[in-house]
Amino acid sequence: MAVVERLGQVGKLLIGVWIASIAVAMFLVIPQYEGLGNAGRIVIMHVPTAWVSVLAFAVSALFSGLYLWKRRPEYDHYALAAAESGFLFTALATVTGMIFSQVVWGIYWNWDPRQTSIFVLLLIYAALFALRSAIDDPERRRQLSAVYSLFAFVTVPFLVFVAPRIADSTLHPNCAFIQGSTCDGITLEVGTIGLLGDRKVQLLALERQGDVVTAEVKVSEPGLTSETILRPSYDLAAGEMVARPEFPGLRYRLGLEAVDLRANTALLNIEAPGTGLLENRRTLFTFLASIGGFTALFFWLLTLRATLLDVQWTLAQRGGSRV
Amino acid sequence: MDRATDTGQEAPALETPFRAGTPAPVLFAAAWAVFVKDLRIELRTRYALNAMVLFAACTAVMVSIGTTFIGLRRTEEALLIQSSLLWVAFLFAAITGLSRGFVQEEEARTMAALRLAAPPVAVYLGKFLLNLALLALLGAITSLLFIVLVRVQVGSPLAFVALIGAGSLCLAAATTILAAIIARASFKSALFAVLAFPLLVPPLIIAIQGTALTLENGGFGPALGALQFLVAYSVATFVASLMLFRFVWEA
Repeated sequence: MAVVERLGQVGKLLIGVWIASIAVAMFLVIPQYEGLGNAGRIVIMHVPTAWVSVLAFAVSALFSGLYLWKRRPEYDHYALAAAESGFLFTALATVTGMIFSQVVWGIYWNWDPRQTSIFVLLLIYAALFALRSAIDDPERRRQLSAVYSLFAFVTVPFLVFVAPRIADSTLHPNCAFIQGSTCDGITLEVGTIGLLGDRKVQLLALERQGDVVTAEVKVSEPGLTSETILRPSYDLAAGEMVARPEFPGLRYRLGLEAVDLRANTALLNIEAPGTGLLENRRTLFTFLASIGGFTALFFWLLTLRATLLDVQWTLAQRGGSRV
Repeated sequence: MDRATDTGQEAPALETPFRAGTPAPVLFAAAWAVFVKDLRIELRTRYALNAMVLFAACTAVMVSIGTTFIGLRRTEEALLIQSSLLWVAFLFAAITGLSRGFVQEEEARTMAALRLAAPPVAVYLGKFLLNLALLALLGAITSLLFIVLVRVQVGSPLAFVALIGAGSLCLAAATTILAAIIARASFKSALFAVLAFPLLVPPLIIAIQGTALTLENGGFGPALGALQFLVAYSVATFVASLMLFRFVWEA
């Protein structure tokens, strides 16, 4: 027993040091994302908290199921502890996400699919706490909140199906995230062939109508299995892209970033989702360390809170009063 | 409460006359009997029905007063606004009445008798049918009120009816077990809305968008995805309810 306690002490210290070094690495070790400035660094904290909030929800549902099966109060204490720390992490993920969103896209809240789902998660946690506080009898409270927790767990995956329906308004990791860092684009003369990502692109023609120049681009799938014509366009007067068609079957968009009509060349670029962000080794390792650190932090909080609830329950029973 | 159940080492064996192996015909007969009993009580008092219909009527009239002067053109946005308003009225009217089935048992102190009289699954099915019947009626009334008062023009009537029906199925499947949960708690009606809303966000988003599609003249085609989603959601929540209801009922 003493050994376990000693190990627990060491683990606690390790988690503290680990998280602290991630916070330091977040600012000193990883390079700045181009175009985002220091605000981009918040991602190192944001993504792990979001991951933990989902993990906590699953752990809570798991212990709720165990409680219904075995009827041991300890399982309910774990379920409650997971829900409570999950709520904390969900709130953190929401706040860090909103800060990032405001800095990068200029808007705090957009009903982006992920924002919708984290909002629903917050609501479910809140409902769970409301339910718990509305039932006096401890055993009934445990049982009914376990049922609600499991029932809510069944409905959450449906949010995944909702996401594509409202994805028109998404701001989440598209190229906006990493435009400067990975998407350099390619300059092609009419008729020439180039490589953009893993797609072969050929600039077939440039057509000018008023101020808008439209490029006709033939895009070939990897392995040349099929070909599609995409027509991105560029407004010369405003100096900005107009139409940015999506690659067939992908979330990548093809943009026409600049046109030189005299030389008959165009700068084509791909706008990729956030995968390229982790191409940098230092960023990747800090990111993984952060996910590991936050997961460990969650489990530490979970056992701490559950032990506390156990003690509280034992004391209440000894005193003969109700919690 | 006694100490033995608190420590929870051994779950107390519940002495109900019904075990898991009740044959299906008996089960359905019991479920039907519960449904008929509840329907009779509801028709006698019309407690839930009055509240729901009056709520829907109030909302439709308010929306009508507020919007008919505007003369909305039938753009895509206008259809979405109309369908959102329709679902707002439908949802909140439904929330006022759907918990009635179980709350009434608790208030009349008839839960114990019902526990003896029918197996849990039959009770759940009976209450589910009652809620479905109430929602079918409410859906029809709300839609008619909106068609008459808010000048909603339904382009594909069959698809519209199917979508309202599938939406009602979702509401009934997701909220019946919640009604059983809140019947045992305090602040029942407020808690019901709090518990139901987060679970209803996904089907509501889909139902609102699907209904907007059925207001155009597209037939079943455009709304098919929404219908599939709503039916899948109903099946998932219905099955989960069947599995979990036993625990609510014996709590």
